[in-house]
Amino acid sequence: MSEPGATGALQAALAAEHAAVYGYGVVGAYLTGGSRAAATADWVAHQNARDELEAMLRSRGSQPGPAAVAYQLPISVRTSGQAVSLAVILEERIATAYLGLVALSTPALRQLGALQVRESALRAAFWRGSTVAFPGLTAAALAAPRRNPAIGRDS
Amino acid sequence: MADPTRRALIAAAAALPLVAVSGCNGVDVLASPPRQAPDVGLLRAAIAAEQLLVTQYAAVLRGLASSGAGGPAALTAALEPLLGQHRAHLAELRSRLVVPAGSASPPPSARATRAPAVPAAPAAAVAFLRAAEQAAAAAMLSRLTGASASLAQLFASISASEATHVPVLDDAARDVPARAGA
Repeated sequence: MSEPGATGALQAALAAEHAAVYGYGVVGAYLTGGSRAAATADWVAHQNARDELEAMLRSRGSQPGPAAVAYQLPISVRTSGQAVSLAVILEERIATAYLGLVALSTPALRQLGALQVRESALRAAFWRGSTVAFPGLTAAALAAPRRNPAIGRDS
Repeated sequence: MADPTRRALIAAAAALPLVAVSGCNGVDVLASPPRQAPDVGLLRAAIAAEQLLVTQYAAVLRGLASSGAGGPAALTAALEPLLGQHRAHLAELRSRLVVPAGSASPPPSARATRAPAVPAAPAAAVAFLRAAEQAAAAAMLSRLTGASASLAQLFASISASEATHVPVLDDAARDVPARAGA
């Protein structure tokens, strides 16, 4: 049941969740009304995901990695627009981390990773206000020639 | 669903009886490698599914453009990026398909290029695309088992992208008057 690499991938996802829990605290602080409610809901979702990963690691006999005392935010946040941008970045990192679980061969971990990539993509699309073709996948992971196919021009 | 999808799945399944038959030879079953990597069958199914979505979106957009009054501009603007993302999915999936030498590959697009039947009324067309996205996202997840690590990541990412299209279509549906042809 303990596939090599599984613990590392779970710890990486947990580290991303710790960062997201911290980050959404910042995001929510700069938002009001419905946006703030959405940020709070996402903050709770990341806390739940973090708890689930910690339980999974413990059940495998591994000590879950702790949250850092503070995180260097990827962008400086002083406005609501920047707070929304931070939420998008947090979700993109979360999706990438969970794709690490998808790369494992254990079916349950693969499925869990895929479901979390989907949840993250849905949250990211909400904050971004638009969708992307490859949530969580970096440009380097894509093989097709980059011809900016996201532009919906007829070929 | 799509004929190409079904054919690809059947093609993938057809590889299994070969193993079962050679199982009569006992240990030999391990000696004869499969004729094609499991990824090939999964990829062909995924490509067929994306191809179908692309043709469905294109057909809906064509219908909107020809529906007089220029079609609902907001709906067209909502659908075009989604079509672009499906084209990107298709291009990436195709780039991963490395067909082993000597294996017969089905003609890729002979069938899929035929225009699929899509509802003419905008509201019905959006509901149709919504159902197609949900089915495609679920089918993409079902291909995770047995896929190589990097292909599984691609399938999961594409499935997630398709899941995000559903709320976009829900928003678009709210902007479309329910009566047909409006």
